[in-house]
Amino acid sequence: MIKLSNTTKKFGDFTALDNVDLLIPKGTAFGLLGSNGAGKSTILRLLSGIYKQESGSVTIDGQEVFDNTDIKKRVFFINDETVQFGSFTLKSLKKYYKGFYPNFSEELFEELRNTVKLPEDKRIDRFSKGMKRQAVVITGLASGADYLLLDEAFDGLDPTMRIIVKRMLVDAMLDRKLTTVISSHNLKEINEVCDSVALIHQGKVIFNRDLDSIKGNIHKVQAAFNKDYSKEDFEPYGILHYSRSQSIHYIIMKGSEQEIREKFKDKEPIVLDLIPLTLEEIFIYEMEGMGYDAGQLN
Amino acid sequence: MFDIDLQSRIPIYEQLYKKVIEMTVKKQLTPSEKLPSVRELAKELGVNPNTVSKAFQMLERDGIIYSVPGRGSFISDKNDSIIAKNAAEGFRTAVREALNGGLDREGMISVIDSVISEKGALSDDKAK
Repeated sequence: MIKLSNTTKKFGDFTALDNVDLLIPKGTAFGLLGSNGAGKSTILRLLSGIYKQESGSVTIDGQEVFDNTDIKKRVFFINDETVQFGSFTLKSLKKYYKGFYPNFSEELFEELRNTVKLPEDKRIDRFSKGMKRQAVVITGLASGADYLLLDEAFDGLDPTMRIIVKRMLVDAMLDRKLTTVISSHNLKEINEVCDSVALIHQGKVIFNRDLDSIKGNIHKVQAAFNKDYSKEDFEPYGILHYSRSQSIHYIIMKGSEQEIREKFKDKEPIVLDLIPLTLEEIFIYEMEGMGYDAGQLN
Repeated sequence: MFDIDLQSRIPIYEQLYKKVIEMTVKKQLTPSEKLPSVRELAKELGVNPNTVSKAFQMLERDGIIYSVPGRGSFISDKNDSIIAKNAAEGFRTAVREALNGGLDREGMISVIDSVISEKGALSDDKAK
């Protein structure tokens, strides 16, 4: 289990993470969503022990991460800078990581290397950008680490590699309860791979939830009535957004379809249409509901 | 076979849940038939295994499937009532939409009759 409590990370005057609390249970695929500079990579760097927080704690399975070799052997950070061994070949890279990660699988590494057809004796600094990315990803998958951190990692992968990675993650999640933390500004990606998501904005966790419970649990309601109602009449329903065009009321509110229909029952609507929001819309309204300008999301 | 829309507004687990019911109703899945494992399905669909597990748990809770430890999940043979309840829910939605679209009770009943007779003709064809 990953736990950040009251974690603050600063760079000079800039507060990259501001009193963040975050809990990531073992075995989940967790998405960190946010715009560039929101603090997603800072969280991953704290989790991989690259940075040390100014205050609060960053623990994995109850142990503080920074300067902790035992924990580092169980965490693999996939990002563009992980592989800095320019003069290394994949063969020597494999040897290096095998020495560090106790559960490193040489068979899996070779299998993946053959699948993506990366040469084993070419210097990595002569690789193309895409090949470098593939090299880090296959090393991470073969590392046998309990915690895989992917920093915008899906972005540079071609569709075939994406499918391979996704399938590998399925196996690892089922076989050894792998926990993955994936940062992305791509909602589509997070939606496909993750089961939980935290929205990070300006160094804060705006919200943190199970994806399924967000989806289908917030609706756009279009309603018309025989009586003349106004916004105030709907306030007790917990509305996130209200607008009106002649006799039609447009309301965004939380709740399942059934719950919402129940609430409107006594007003005897003549029209009551419910459309579940897309994830993107949900994020925007949630942010607005908390007083943030959702325009900053992109 | 279990095609779902990853970009849909409807949660993936819910789509899977409905898909299994739909396939059971259409006899594409029959009682005692084994379902693919969570692993197989997660890989085939390219989704998170926890999401597939969740759909399976709900199907099991509602008596649509049952699981045998070590062997997998199977379609239950006593799932008629939940399936009927599900169908009623779908019908209610259709009725609401029809009302909004300006169809009255008589209009709906004539639609119902014509759909049933089309279906009847189809199953008669099959019988021949």
